[in-house]
Amino acid sequence: MPKTLENYFDELRQTKIWRSVFRSGSGRSTLHRSLAIQQNVFLHLFSTKVRKRMMSFSATWYLGTLTFGTFLILVITGVLLMLYYHPSVPQAYADTKDLQFVVSSGMFLRNLHRWSAHAMVFLVFAHMFKVFYRGAYRPPREFNWVIGVVLLLITLLLSYTGYLLPWDQLAYWAITVGSNIALAVPVIGNKIHFLLLGGNAVNANALLRFYVLHCVILPLTAVVLIAVHFWRIRKDGGLYVHQSEPARAKAAAAPATRQSEISKPEAK
Amino acid sequence: MDEKDKQSDNKELSRRTFFAKLGLGSLSVAAAGTAAFSYQYLSPNVLYEPSPVINAGKPESYPLDSVTQDVNSGIYIIHSQEGFFALQAICTHLGCMTAWKQELGIIACPCHGSKFYVHSEGNHKPGDKIEGPAPKPLPWKKMWVNDDGDLMVDRSTEIPAMQFVRV
Amino acid sequence: MDKDFVTGVDSNAKKSPRRVAFITRRTSAAVKVTDEEQVQTYPELLFRVAVAIEILFIALVVTALLFNAPLEGLADPSHTPNPAKAPWYFLGLQELLHYFPPMVAGVLAPGLVVMALIVIPYFNINIEAEGLFLKDRKRRLTIFAIVSIAVTVFLIIFDVYVAVPGTLIIAALMAIAAYSSPQSPSYARRYLAAKPLSFWIMTWFLIELVVLTAVGTFFRGPGWSWVLPWQSY
Repeated sequence: MPKTLENYFDELRQTKIWRSVFRSGSGRSTLHRSLAIQQNVFLHLFSTKVRKRMMSFSATWYLGTLTFGTFLILVITGVLLMLYYHPSVPQAYADTKDLQFVVSSGMFLRNLHRWSAHAMVFLVFAHMFKVFYRGAYRPPREFNWVIGVVLLLITLLLSYTGYLLPWDQLAYWAITVGSNIALAVPVIGNKIHFLLLGGNAVNANALLRFYVLHCVILPLTAVVLIAVHFWRIRKDGGLYVHQSEPARAKAAAAPATRQSEISKPEAK
Repeated sequence: MDEKDKQSDNKELSRRTFFAKLGLGSLSVAAAGTAAFSYQYLSPNVLYEPSPVINAGKPESYPLDSVTQDVNSGIYIIHSQEGFFALQAICTHLGCMTAWKQELGIIACPCHGSKFYVHSEGNHKPGDKIEGPAPKPLPWKKMWVNDDGDLMVDRSTEIPAMQFVRV
Repeated sequence: MDKDFVTGVDSNAKKSPRRVAFITRRTSAAVKVTDEEQVQTYPELLFRVAVAIEILFIALVVTALLFNAPLEGLADPSHTPNPAKAPWYFLGLQELLHYFPPMVAGVLAPGLVVMALIVIPYFNINIEAEGLFLKDRKRRLTIFAIVSIAVTVFLIIFDVYVAVPGTLIIAALMAIAAYSSPQSPSYARRYLAAKPLSFWIMTWFLIELVVLTAVGTFFRGPGWSWVLPWQSY
């Protein structure tokens, strides 16, 4: 039975319709697998081959991947939550309550969104520290590090703008305190505060601005920068894995083959 | 040795396919569950719309042989010889508001010229189409008298024609 | 003696004539990677990514099913709850605000931190990644002593007592590093001796970040007064 299922899928992949969608067809050969990446508009951000050592878990703990994963969860749950949320005062609070008690699966989606947000902030910090401690910011990866710092700031801003949206006491005063810090900026502090809130206090204008920032402006910026971040990883030679890591493991297993930078190992 | 290889080959395949089936199976279950829950999520449980049930007031305020149109709620309250009934006032063609033509004794739609009976005539019941592009007759709406003696109409429920409310 | 370059010989005579290359140590990573085993992105990388994200998703879903997001009463501009706390990732900042004026704690400190983070990869000392005290030891030891004492005094003067233990721990570890070398008997001392300046500064920053956030989360109550985590207010 398993064989026929495979056969069925193989037949499916030969049909005209399938080949019109996936132009290079699909299969198990190296060629097909390379084409699956290279011919795909989303996936061809990656190269068709990666260095095996890049995938080692101990090198990165996959923190970057996990951060991106939380971002995906947040986008999907966020869009779904938007279907029941009116960014007006005081409707926003009623809608949040509705989501929790009236809407099917509303409580679950809100919880998932909230905890993924906290997880993302934590993971993005962890990712930054891990990258730092393994020295993956060194040339030629300096600019990617800078993009990463900017992404960190965007993550914090996303979390901050989202915090206001339930319009409860927790949200209102957290944002009031936070935006008052902006007042402390010399010379332009007042202007920043005014522009950020769309007024002098946290009210309906502020909610709408934070809503647009949270749902449109910041996510779009984040997506663009994430794409650049991934692209730079590839262009800078793939993920950085410290030279001594595999050398230590290899030295334990076999005679070291990486003593000098350019002498190639004799055997394959 | 060939047999043995085939044997181990078979075993390996079946373990791999077992896990593949297990994985795909759970994925399909998860996908089906997600689809079901998503559908439930997307259908609102609470609507911010006015109730379809209308309180039309006391039956005495509708004289015999009168046709009263309420444009806000989109119904006709008709007190005929056989009793009270309610017709939908929204044309079944494309949703325009019809009007009662007293001088002609019919209901007419201004948009595309559909005309409907308002009195029983021969084989035709009130609401039936006289002429025009409307595909269906004007439906009869559920009507009853409540405990306070008021006439009530539920616009969301249609009833078969010729069911009168006698007061 | 430490040479600034490494020599090697390309042994595949068929592909290229014998040549000797001089490569300076610790330059661009791209130069180091020559003949490495590669695998297909699909399925090797993509499946690992998928599994990692799936595990993350399961963990978050379980959390979402078990724990509810908080929701307090409707926003009331006329009534400030006490204490009014920022989201947890800003609580470190809010704790700093307790000691320093907004201009310092809210603008200068975060601004300098972000700036410092951004410029890390552009400074040679961070790229070389040599143990801090392996070069120029006497001078660096003096600077270290002065700076660590100055920072500690500064923190005490401004009543930032919570930040003192972390500073002292780092200073102690750095002192141990200063008196260790790659030939030290214990692994721990060899490890510390090899750590560059950027490591020490970043670790200090990490410790203080954790401490300040923890204090802001668990040890601050009404009026930003000091409370113990189990005391309800």
